[in-house]
Amino acid sequence: MIYYIARRLAVAVPTLLILIIVSYVLMYAAPGGPFETERTLPPEVMANLQHKYGLDQPLVVQIWRYVVSIVTEFDFGPSFQYTDQTVNDIIRQGFPVTLTYGAWSFLVAILAGASLGIAAAVCHNTILDYLCVGISVGAQVLPNFVLAPVLTLVFTLWLAWLPGGGWQGGHWPYVILPVIALSTSFMASIARMTRSSMLEALNADFIRTARAKGLPMRRIVIRHALKPTMLPVISYLGPTFVGMITGSVVIDVFFATGGIGQFFVNSALNRDYPVIMGITILAGALTIAFNLVVDLLYAWLDPRIRY
Amino acid sequence: MSPLLFGRRTIRALTTTRAPDTSGGRSLWQDARGRFVRNRAAMASLAILCVLVLFVLFGDFLAAWSNEEIDWAMLGNVAEEGGPLFANGHYFGVDELGRDLYARTVQGTGISLMVGVLGALVSMVVGTLYGAVAGYLGGAVDNVMMRIVDVLMAIPYMFVLIVFMVVFGRSILMLFVGIGLISWLDMARIARGQTLSIKNRDFVEAAVAIGVRPGRIILRHIIPNLLGVVVVYATLLVPSMIIYESFISFLGLGVQEPDTSLGALIRDGASQMQYGTLWQLLFPLSFFVTTLFAFFFVGDGLRDAVDPRDR
Repeated sequence: MIYYIARRLAVAVPTLLILIIVSYVLMYAAPGGPFETERTLPPEVMANLQHKYGLDQPLVVQIWRYVVSIVTEFDFGPSFQYTDQTVNDIIRQGFPVTLTYGAWSFLVAILAGASLGIAAAVCHNTILDYLCVGISVGAQVLPNFVLAPVLTLVFTLWLAWLPGGGWQGGHWPYVILPVIALSTSFMASIARMTRSSMLEALNADFIRTARAKGLPMRRIVIRHALKPTMLPVISYLGPTFVGMITGSVVIDVFFATGGIGQFFVNSALNRDYPVIMGITILAGALTIAFNLVVDLLYAWLDPRIRY
Repeated sequence: MSPLLFGRRTIRALTTTRAPDTSGGRSLWQDARGRFVRNRAAMASLAILCVLVLFVLFGDFLAAWSNEEIDWAMLGNVAEEGGPLFANGHYFGVDELGRDLYARTVQGTGISLMVGVLGALVSMVVGTLYGAVAGYLGGAVDNVMMRIVDVLMAIPYMFVLIVFMVVFGRSILMLFVGIGLISWLDMARIARGQTLSIKNRDFVEAAVAIGVRPGRIILRHIIPNLLGVVVVYATLLVPSMIIYESFISFLGLGVQEPDTSLGALIRDGASQMQYGTLWQLLFPLSFFVTTLFAFFFVGDGLRDAVDPRDR
């Protein structure tokens, strides 16, 4: 097990390095620097700016400095656009927001998805089952950027129940719509997977044995069928996490929650390289760490897997 | 008027029963086609896709306005007069700048379809070649190639794609390349898995025995046998390509004006919906949802038809 963790880390660290280097090289190769505005700056001013931010150094030196400052001081450098803020300030400001509704969405997607899938499998070929299948097919074509406007239209403009944007320090009415918009498509996928793997589990021999010896259905589902059902779902948690990190960009932009995605898109439009890179690297690091956790969880839950 | 000796129905019955029975058993593909044709949802979706393609190809001929033209009469009172109306030629209404939404929807649907299909093609070509080479050569080469895929898969692709778009300029070509280059990873894994099961078959060994070079074996013997599975998967990839593109356009980082795509139209519509101009949101939205539904059902139908185990 320890060997396995070590091996996974040995892959994770180079992955992150590659991500850093590739994004830095891409940024370096980009036409049009961060200081190109409508007004042409005098060349001396430009040179001074370049020098201040270390952009006059050779590429390798720049990358080396960047990596070193991240590793030793966890410092992603200053923002080019907001001159009084560093990338760390921006992440510190936006990340808690994204984390709040992201965590809620994650919980909702797993709990609601799994319950729906289990209910559908247990009541196979009933109205409930068809409802579950219908929802999961429908939600496939409703990615978050389609769902968000529709939700706002219904719950903000027509019913006027919930605010259509803003954050207000995470007051609950402001959290609901982002969570629904972000979690629905993943909830549907989890429900579909849970349903099919629960159906498979319920047809297995050991369940027939349990039934034959007269166990009540509730006990069979919870004690016997649930564990093999959840294994494929757990392996799907990694992609869910990636999808949610990506989706949070849309949520932040559409609901103006002030999360990290809003800064990401703003910086992308303004060529604010350090911010784009800081957020990309943060997302990459989170993804890699989460995938590692999921794999370990999987190995721990499934005794058939040995490393 | 000659009398009919037999009723029409009898004649038809005779001709069909007497039709020569050529089959000594049906081929795999005939079976698959039969299963696909019997799948009502898939056939209906296929018809819808054909209509959509016709809409994209010929929709412009029905348009009274071009997609860039601004109807100055509408500007300023879009909310009151800009709604869908046949009389003034704006079948879907106008957008917030007074441009004809019908023409823009035709163009947006076209770009979304094109990105979807071309993105899936790029990923199909790159992924199949990569996977087939890795699977056929095996050993250390395979190990290294698939580890690279693992590493790339752990990167949050959408962020990298946005970085890509920012750096190389936002154009449709860049979208194609970027989306295609990211999505080949799954395809490579699938192609590799298939290759592993094909490469020990007799016809490959025969080719090796008569001294065909590996490159030629991969191109002429392995890849043709992969194609069935790969094409099915590529069909399922099209809707996700469309979603990627619309995601980026929704953020305003995708195609640039005057070009548009369904994602950009949805964003424009969503940003205006508090002014009561709902048609600006609902027309692109329904086209988007219909397109995705159709591709999902066709892809599912194809998969069920080609690979009936998986039901």
